[in-house]
Amino acid sequence: MTLQQQIRANRFRTVLVLAAFGLLIIALGGAAYALGGTGLGGLVLVVGVVYGIFAYISSGSMVAKLTGAHPVTREEWPEVYHLIDTVSIAAGMEAAPPLYVVDDPAPNAFAAGRVPAKSYVVVTSGLLEAMSKRELEGVLAHEVSHIRNRDVRLMTLAAVLVGVVALVSDLLARMLFFGGGRRKGGDSAQAWIFLVIAIVTILLAPLAAVMVQLALSRRREYLADASAAEITNDPEGLALALRRLELDHREIHNVTSATAHLYIETPLRNTTGPSKFVAGLFNTHPPLAARIGVLEEAGGFRLPDSLPDAGDIELPIA
Amino acid sequence: MTIVYILIAVVVVLLVFGVVLYNRMVRLRNEVDTGWANIDVQLKRRNDLIPNIVEAVKGYAAHERGTFEEVTKARAAVAGAQGPAAAGEADNLLTAALGKLFAVAEAYPDLKASDNFLQLQNELSATEDKIAAARRYYNATVLRFNNSIQTFPSVLLAGVFGFVKREFFAAEAGDRELPEVSFQP
Repeated sequence: MTLQQQIRANRFRTVLVLAAFGLLIIALGGAAYALGGTGLGGLVLVVGVVYGIFAYISSGSMVAKLTGAHPVTREEWPEVYHLIDTVSIAAGMEAAPPLYVVDDPAPNAFAAGRVPAKSYVVVTSGLLEAMSKRELEGVLAHEVSHIRNRDVRLMTLAAVLVGVVALVSDLLARMLFFGGGRRKGGDSAQAWIFLVIAIVTILLAPLAAVMVQLALSRRREYLADASAAEITNDPEGLALALRRLELDHREIHNVTSATAHLYIETPLRNTTGPSKFVAGLFNTHPPLAARIGVLEEAGGFRLPDSLPDAGDIELPIA
Repeated sequence: MTIVYILIAVVVVLLVFGVVLYNRMVRLRNEVDTGWANIDVQLKRRNDLIPNIVEAVKGYAAHERGTFEEVTKARAAVAGAQGPAAAGEADNLLTAALGKLFAVAEAYPDLKASDNFLQLQNELSATEDKIAAARRYYNATVLRFNNSIQTFPSVLLAGVFGFVKREFFAAEAGDRELPEVSFQP
């Protein structure tokens, strides 16, 4: 698959995600109509459409808010900016994307934004502490590849749209829970209403999952890894970074099923219990070991099982 | 009649195919041009830095005239180089000359410790990283473009529309190979 094909495929999938969202709004509108008549149904439709348009336009800044990321200036992080500058030049980008940070000890990173010119790369403070320069360069190259391959618009949009689906699903589940007691009255109309809510709630989560599945494909991560290796001319650096992520078992705090697919590695792998099923639905990151294996084969090297401490990046973090 | 329709259909398909191939070659050629512009920007930036560095070293080691001249000459050669291959060679000579200049600076601890010199040195090495990055991108675009105009079927159109092979920006030894990474698991 060439870059152009990937960009075309992403455009097509963006349309699919938007269509899935449209269908969802119609379904919700229908449910609201059954619940509260034309007025409520219309309201849901209008709110849904307005939110969809708003989300499409401002998805970039919304993801930053959802994940708690805030921008970092060149003066604050000259070294990291130098790395992303060189990586962007090697990727043939017109300009280097700005850097954002999430204050979290778990090492992770992602890129977001609707168009390449307005995209940004987010790293956790833990990533900078854990990685060597060479490894960080690999991670940044992976994220810049996502921007260049036009992956970010699709991923960002999915995050924002799935976010609202998760919210509505949660709201309906609550209504179902608190409203359940009143059902004893035996009113048949009320029973219907709760049936509708129950069905919508049950359908929402998988639908959201399908949207994320559309946005993500395992191939996307492999392609970004391959692009990153070509950009830095150093597949071993990225492989080392992935191994470091593999060995680190901390989880990033501020993450939901809506934003999980953005990250370079899955941030929800320690989830257990009933939510593990839901997390499984969303888990489309290929295992890190497989990604490292591909890089090892391409570069003709083999990583050691353990890694020395890194941390050669100077950070004036207060 | 049917024969005529079939012929028209074949011609239309061939035309569409030709347009697609042509557009692809134009796009790849534009990428090569952008890649070269990127290198040019960084080479100019480095050339702007060099006089300041030479001045800084002169302040301490005015007698090393030969080294200064070599750097200045190499700098002029980079600025005046015609085409990527020549610029690449001039660039390698300049890198070697700068290496000698910094070897001279090594002998003067005061110079090495001065803020001005340190800052210039940092800027120079940052710019050299960027030249290397721009070279990687440029050479990758040249490889893609050359492959496209030399392989069938675009080779049939390349000659007609005057697409000619582009030069690589000379690479340092050991930096020539690009890794072939497949993204299939």
